Amino acid sequence: MTRYVQHGLKVKSKPDEIARQNFMLNMRSYVMLDMAMGMKKIYDNNIEPNFKKLNKRKPKNGDEIHKTIKKDTYFKFYSSIRCNAQEMVFRSVIPPIERSMIDLKKKAKKLSTSKKANGSLKIDKKLTIPKSVSALDVHLMPGCYHSEHSENDLTQGALYDNGVSVFSMGFFGEKLDDIGSSISLFIKKKYPKFKPVRILDLGCTVGHNTLPWNKVYPKAEIHAVDVGAPVLRYGHARAQSEGISVHFHQQNAEKTNFENNSFDLVFSSMFLHEVPKKGIKQIIREAKRLLKPGGLMLHMELPPNKMLDAYNSFYLDWDSYYNKEPYYKTFRDMIPEKVCSEAGFSKNKFVQFIIPSIGQFGEEEIIKSVNSQNGNVDDRTGRFTKGIHWYCFGSWK
Amino acid sequence: MSENDNKLRYSVRGKKSRFFESDGVDELVSICMSIAQELWVVKEELALLKNLTLEKGLLTKKELENFKFTVKQKTELDNENKDFIDRVFFTLRESVESVDSNHDEPNPPPIP
Repeated sequence: MTRYVQHGLKVKSKPDEIARQNFMLNMRSYVMLDMAMGMKKIYDNNIEPNFKKLNKRKPKNGDEIHKTIKKDTYFKFYSSIRCNAQEMVFRSVIPPIERSMIDLKKKAKKLSTSKKANGSLKIDKKLTIPKSVSALDVHLMPGCYHSEHSENDLTQGALYDNGVSVFSMGFFGEKLDDIGSSISLFIKKKYPKFKPVRILDLGCTVGHNTLPWNKVYPKAEIHAVDVGAPVLRYGHARAQSEGISVHFHQQNAEKTNFENNSFDLVFSSMFLHEVPKKGIKQIIREAKRLLKPGGLMLHMELPPNKMLDAYNSFYLDWDSYYNKEPYYKTFRDMIPEKVCSEAGFSKNKFVQFIIPSIGQFGEEEIIKSVNSQNGNVDDRTGRFTKGIHWYCFGSWK
Repeated sequence: MSENDNKLRYSVRGKKSRFFESDGVDELVSICMSIAQELWVVKEELALLKNLTLEKGLLTKKELENFKFTVKQKTELDNENKDFIDRVFFTLRESVESVDSNHDEPNPPPIP
């Protein structure tokens, strides 16, 4: 059973609202698991054989599959239902959030001075919100990360946290921190001598994957940046309610105001694919500037297209076309090793890992995976499915 | 901005993806999903009432609003919800299953 948001900023949904959220969770499960399997079967049995008959070869890449499959009725229903489900997820959590807007602000104010943690929040009212955020409702979330409805508003943070709790069908864990928890534990076990003193999370949204770093490196000073003030206000209050000290800053990850060589670990999760190509390159350069010599840059992301077969490339790129994540495919077409080396990282310092989800496999499997990295991704990597694994890449400085 | 303006936007900005050539089919899918969702609300609320009635013997508004399913009840309900979705979207499952049987099926007589 999936439990929705449980921490100090929990909003109270009425029974009919909970039923709508439950329906969306199961509807998402239906489209992402059952229908996705059905579409693959139709592809294997109909689409690919017909393509081979016409072209005397298999499709070379995801684009060729997309071009062919988009005419198929099942694909149309899959896509239409998936788009609707995505929008309905957010709509299902809006009414309880609307009722709680004033209360959320009061709770956040109280939590900011809580003695449970010593985190901080720095909002920069003059920051220009990049077009990649301001010009669209990323992944069909009305209002995106930055819209403000009143002074000191944090509702877009609440919308993200509550929406993703329904959207992720439990795959992100009860605190939505499976990615951060899995990767931080992996890094600690893989590099026992690496003991970061200062950690930075880029594009942190509500800090859900920032907080787990505190568990594995409790003495580290943790900072997190995002361009959206409402998600940062919410993230700050959320961290305080969990008793974890994190310093949240409204800054653009492409150009932060931190000093050179000031962090041991620069991390991001599910962030780069929402940034245009030019911005991604700048973020990697900025990470290099911020890292101390011997520091580690690590980005959790969807696996690059070059690591996947044509069908899985097509499948993952769906979001780029239909989910208001236009830079998703551009990012996945990039070659991580090349991006890192072009930013000045040594080629022989490049790393990439495929890490089992802690929620699905437990700590033991993560520890085992430390010595069994073979660089192979499969249709469980970065996909909401049983046996999910997380892909990440980066470089030592 | 005043606190009275605290209304969130429900709709997504910008161009909406469309998948079907025939007019109105995309909208029909949206409507069908909303109907399915609302029907589920009725079913879940009925289940809630049934469980509450069985447990307490009588109902009050407070009891109704504060009732939470047990993990077992919620798991059962989730399973029922999945079956319900499968029934509503049966036509799609059927189209996948027909992939197996297409090859052996004799052709119908030509349509005059």
